[in-house]
Amino acid sequence: MLEHLFYEDKGVLLQNLHSTAILGYLAVFFTLALLFSHPLYLAGIFLVGALAVVTAEALEKWEAYLKAGLWMALLVMLINPLVFHAGKTVIWRSPALPLLGNVSICLEAICYGAAMGIRLLAVLTIFCLASAVVHPDKFLSLFSRFAYKSALVVSLATRMLPAAARELANAREMLQLRGVDFAAGNLKERLKKYSRLLDILLLASLEGALQTAEAMQARAFGSGPRSCYRRELWRPRDLLCLTAGCLALVFSCYARVKGYGDYNYYLQLGVLVPNPASLILLAGILGSLALPLVLSWGWKHWPYLRLKI
Amino acid sequence: MSGHKSRSLAVFLITGMLVAGMLTATILTKSWSLFTITILGAALFFFYMDFEYSPASAREIGLIAVLGTIAAVGRVPFSALPGIQPVTFMVITTGFVFGPRAGFMVGSTAAVVSNFFLGQGPWTPWQMLSWGLAGTTAGLVRNRWPRPGSAGRVLFCFAWGYLYGWIMNTWFWTAFVHPLTWKSFLATWAASFWFDTLHALGNAGFYLILGPRMIKVLARFQKKLQVELSDP
Repeated sequence: MLEHLFYEDKGVLLQNLHSTAILGYLAVFFTLALLFSHPLYLAGIFLVGALAVVTAEALEKWEAYLKAGLWMALLVMLINPLVFHAGKTVIWRSPALPLLGNVSICLEAICYGAAMGIRLLAVLTIFCLASAVVHPDKFLSLFSRFAYKSALVVSLATRMLPAAARELANAREMLQLRGVDFAAGNLKERLKKYSRLLDILLLASLEGALQTAEAMQARAFGSGPRSCYRRELWRPRDLLCLTAGCLALVFSCYARVKGYGDYNYYLQLGVLVPNPASLILLAGILGSLALPLVLSWGWKHWPYLRLKI
Repeated sequence: MSGHKSRSLAVFLITGMLVAGMLTATILTKSWSLFTITILGAALFFFYMDFEYSPASAREIGLIAVLGTIAAVGRVPFSALPGIQPVTFMVITTGFVFGPRAGFMVGSTAAVVSNFFLGQGPWTPWQMLSWGLAGTTAGLVRNRWPRPGSAGRVLFCFAWGYLYGWIMNTWFWTAFVHPLTWKSFLATWAASFWFDTLHALGNAGFYLILGPRMIKVLARFQKKLQVELSDP
């Protein structure tokens, strides 16, 4: 269960980028999903995100994210029409309800809810992509220069978690062999049985923490200024992906300044494409975001390109 | 000025400029979701920097990592149950025993580490802040009232079930609901009411059954941390 959503090395291009390049690219993706409210822009970002997930061979992970995301998107689509009734296109007016009175369901609020549902799915897709292509160690190493204590705490805990889960399973088995039935009894009795498990885990792990600390001290931890060694290389592929992200950001800022990324939901739905330039800019943004995905395809199928980037 | 100090100043200045830039962009674009994320990022940054500049020893770092791991492991078997999870109670207990800084670090570490395995999402930084604040406030309460009594602690754990839910609702409300009014906030809060109530009841139940024993074990290790050898 623990390994299900954890990082798996699949050898795709997005996993072989410099951490600055891939995190920069993902940060642009995330910012754009929050920046725009136009349904076409949001749908475009979601589609490129979906394509990126396919490129990263993380469909199994995405399924788990979508299962949770669809319920949340449904909630978003439900809350918006229930709290905003001032839209001009009333679809249905309820009879007088206790506390709420007459509730009007407007088309505008439904459309806004649907667009925000797409935004939510886009954001979840970006996080799914991040967990599929960024190794936790790579991510934490970025912070090790200026926040080494915090990075060390998280790094240690990430390493310890699978071991602690195994230790918990072993302790449970041991107690079961001694006749403890975890399924028997009411909730209070079962929690008491689990408290023994917690005791074992706590005592064993805390003793382990002291040993870890001794090992750290034996390796001169905290004895003076730290040195830092980086194994990651900056390659042409990193520059290309980061440039693609920056290009998408520049196009987006321009679209935002011109008002193309906005959409008027209230009080009446606006025109979907008021200016053809809006679609051209959208194509520019999506094209820039999709550039690393095209490179990823080339990386897989074209050895010459793989060699050059 | 030493290299360490100038580097710290540079980190603070760059972060300050980034936050100021994002806040300006937020005001210009009127994007409240970006605004809340900026505030959240700044809050997490200052909590982590407080830990960075504290004189935390290797023992404390090891201990925080282990407690964060145990809290995260505790989350896994309960992940299928909506609302009920022992993380909040464990973080609060840590805060009660080791103080606000350790409480924050254990809470935020449990959130980020467990999500490496359960799935990272936009909820991760909010969970880091919520659980971190639960640990911090527990430590602050301990500093103010060293012996709040069992009832006080149970009440505190219960209250954090709701507080956690309200903080978590903030990102959902600002990013996906329009307009941002009290009415829409209450609707969002009502949608999570049963989850929050289960969380609060779970916290109180966990504390009543597991809390006193856990406090005893942690207090024993706290004493071990404070042992110093002096020259004869």
